[in-house]
Amino acid sequence: MTAVSFAFGLVAFGLLAPVLGCLLTGADRIITARLQGRVGPPLLQPLYDVLKLLAKEKRQLQPFQGFYILLALILAILAGAIFFAGGNLLVVVFLISLSTLFFIIAAYSARSPFAELGAEREIIQVLSYEPMIILMPAFFFMVTGSFDVSRALSLELPPITQIPLIFVGLLFVLTTKLRKSPFDLSFSHHAHQELVKGITTEMSGRTLALVEITHWYETVLFLGYAALFFVWGSPFALVIGLLAALAIYFLEIIIDNSFARVKWQAMLGWSWLVTVFCAVFSVLSVLVVKNYFL
Amino acid sequence: MTAVAFLIIAPLVAALALVVVRQDKARSVVVVVATLALAVTAVYLAATSITTPIQSFNLDAEPLTYLVLAIDLACSAYVIARGVRLKNHLAVFLAGIQAVLVTLFELAVAHHVATATDLYLDQLSIIMVLIIALIGGGICLYSLGYMRDFQAHLDHTAHKSSQGGDPARLAEARHRGRDRRGVFFALMFVFMSAMYAIVFSNNLGWLLCGWEVTTVCSFALISYTRTPEALTNAFRAVNINLAGGLAFCLALILLGSSETPILELDKLIFEGADGMFMFPIALLVFACFTKSAQMPFQSWLLGAMVAPTPTSALLHSSTMVKAGVFLLIKLSPTFGWDVNGMMVIFVGALSFLYCSAVAITQHNAKRVLAYSTIANLGLIVCCAGIGSPEAVWAAIFLLIFHAAAKALLFCCVGTAEHHLRSRDIEDMDNLFVRMPLLATLMALGMMAMFIAPFGMLISKWAALVSMITSGHLELLLVLAFGSALTFMFWAKWLGKILAMAQGQSNREKTIHLSERVGLGLMATLLILATVALPLLSSDVVVPYLQQVASTLPLAQSNGPWGTVSTALGFDNLLLMVIVLVALLAVFAARLPSRRQPGNDSVYLSGVGLDSSHRSFSDALGHPRLASQRNWYLKSLFGEKLWERKGNVFVGLILVVGILATFVLEAGGL
Repeated sequence: MTAVSFAFGLVAFGLLAPVLGCLLTGADRIITARLQGRVGPPLLQPLYDVLKLLAKEKRQLQPFQGFYILLALILAILAGAIFFAGGNLLVVVFLISLSTLFFIIAAYSARSPFAELGAEREIIQVLSYEPMIILMPAFFFMVTGSFDVSRALSLELPPITQIPLIFVGLLFVLTTKLRKSPFDLSFSHHAHQELVKGITTEMSGRTLALVEITHWYETVLFLGYAALFFVWGSPFALVIGLLAALAIYFLEIIIDNSFARVKWQAMLGWSWLVTVFCAVFSVLSVLVVKNYFL
Repeated sequence: MTAVAFLIIAPLVAALALVVVRQDKARSVVVVVATLALAVTAVYLAATSITTPIQSFNLDAEPLTYLVLAIDLACSAYVIARGVRLKNHLAVFLAGIQAVLVTLFELAVAHHVATATDLYLDQLSIIMVLIIALIGGGICLYSLGYMRDFQAHLDHTAHKSSQGGDPARLAEARHRGRDRRGVFFALMFVFMSAMYAIVFSNNLGWLLCGWEVTTVCSFALISYTRTPEALTNAFRAVNINLAGGLAFCLALILLGSSETPILELDKLIFEGADGMFMFPIALLVFACFTKSAQMPFQSWLLGAMVAPTPTSALLHSSTMVKAGVFLLIKLSPTFGWDVNGMMVIFVGALSFLYCSAVAITQHNAKRVLAYSTIANLGLIVCCAGIGSPEAVWAAIFLLIFHAAAKALLFCCVGTAEHHLRSRDIEDMDNLFVRMPLLATLMALGMMAMFIAPFGMLISKWAALVSMITSGHLELLLVLAFGSALTFMFWAKWLGKILAMAQGQSNREKTIHLSERVGLGLMATLLILATVALPLLSSDVVVPYLQQVASTLPLAQSNGPWGTVSTALGFDNLLLMVIVLVALLAVFAARLPSRRQPGNDSVYLSGVGLDSSHRSFSDALGHPRLASQRNWYLKSLFGEKLWERKGNVFVGLILVVGILATFVLEAGGL
């Protein structure tokens, strides 16, 4: 990743991702409504919501919560910029992890019983998905010989053909990362299963708007993780990657509407089980391929 | 040479002065002067020899051999005396054997083996010297203020029990409350002297001597308060470490009496990398595991927290446990895909995984720190076991950052404990309002332990790469799960201390100046080390690895040590530094605004009464406090659930590993 490509990534991701993220969440709300037999809001409803939040009077418990959320947003943008500039995948994962930490600290900083409970649940979510998220770049490195996302574009075959189980594992924890049922423990857009408003209980106005915008950025970035498995050195690669990302998002919406929230024990148990299974069999397959076919 | 000798001898002189000096002021002067002198010498040594670091010194060993033997025997004698007096037969037994073996070794074995190099200096010893002098020195300064509070508390307790009237209890309380701070500081300096001896000695007999002195010093420091609990834990520590010392001694006797006798570290590494001396190396590995508190020996380090907090800071950061991993890092070219390598890798990896999980279940802050130490040492041990240059790179940086961050954290917890009268994490709720400076430093230390863009995480990243390139793919799972567990226990603690409730007063005005200086020094070092990481890597650690590679036998220098490259590109390291600096700058700029009042109150289901105390009106209209504790997941990761099973399992690996090396070597394979 050069400075020029990073700058390009920063501008492209910084400007396009929220548009895309907003449209995706809007589509999510319409599809969800249709699945529930409702008409649903207009496509741009998430944008209207955020604009309204931004215009609200500033109410805050203390001066640090908004600051932490702003840091979380900036780090998410930085991570996405590095990813789409073809930079180091592990750096992206680390920066997102730092962004999540600031989100958690923001919730704790309010010192509210409900927000703290949400923060604890967010930590349990991290505990569930983080092993898989760390393993993903490691396996990407094994396949491509580099952590650089751009390396995928020079592959002979897309990574999905070599490490399909890692994709399955990623897909499983992506539900948690995208805040979809049944693993949306810390906060959810399904009001019927929410405990007050989870981790965002004490966030309002501008701060809550930033949380929503961060979520848009993250949605695009995480779908990028999944799309990476479908990219290789072909002129159609980017189109196929995009189509794969859209298909995966649609699948997540279906999953979101098919399950109710589970207890944390189930989320942790299932996530770890799937991670261990996928990783162990991928290690074995990588070793077999290395020893017998190369 | 002068600087090396000064670093070993000067702390002993300071220790002697501290035993003699009785006044508080004079003691402070001695400690400050000695610390400064050592720090300046260490920095001078680093600055002058960083360009031509490989120096070796040969001393006329004859009179020194007797001195070393005398020190070894004095150590044994001290433990025997304490063991007899306090009826700990195991300690008497172990120290007795130790005395016999050491005498046998020095008089019957070491005398017949000539050594070419007794002391040496290379980049790794420079790094260790800086860690010991600067971080250890910071802890010494910090202790001045800390021990004042500690003694005041002891006097207070003694005074209270003297009003009870029971003469026996009175005498006991007086005995315990006696001002023995001179001895405390003296021990800290002896400890540092022994550490310098360990990092400079190429003569294995001398290394063993430093090793034994650290064992005895830790024993004396842990038993400092003389409570029954402290004595029990001190004896546990000394017994485990004496067992390690015995293994060390046995290894040296075997090495010295073999057909091609060797009593030098560099020669041992060369021969070991060629596949020789597997069994003696396995014994040394055992000694390192006891010193670094790896499973199944972790109990001594957990028990060590009964000592005054600076002791824990010293044991966990710059001395004691670091001696074990230092030797393992030195020996790492002899590991890799062999029995010893496997043993080291799996003991380290399992310690990392188990202790990261158990740390989640702890709410005693010092226990969380202790488990995190064992876990991180486990990762260092694991990297040393992989034995490739990338892995050793990761191990060295893990060691540096762990030392800086852990010293800072222990000292922060110690100060918090004196002000809050508790070391429970739940009681540190809201610390950012009550003690803003302390909470900020603590948050810095915690983040340095587990998250980007700090050095620990960058080192873990290098470890991950080295696992892939060395073919140890199974370790990826260990690292991934261990890191997730690590995130959990730090994040929930961090959240607690950064919580902010309105209307609570600042209570940190009473922190002593020396504590502020010590804490500030350690925080500065931590940030400097992270910012300087790219330079440290290219100018110190990589040259070290190249130098190691150039001294290895062909099999190694053509194999994994053929190309010494760093796992991480310079640009990525630079990016992390930029993020770090930006983060620190915006946080510092934001800090003054913490006093701004909020204009909202906490949501308490519409029945809240007072937002800052989280009180609400219950169903009968009475006021009640809403409380929220962290999650500890005891049903999943509880100590009781896994400790015994884990220890037995890892113990089995250890026994099988050592036996296997014995059989392989006896069979001439």
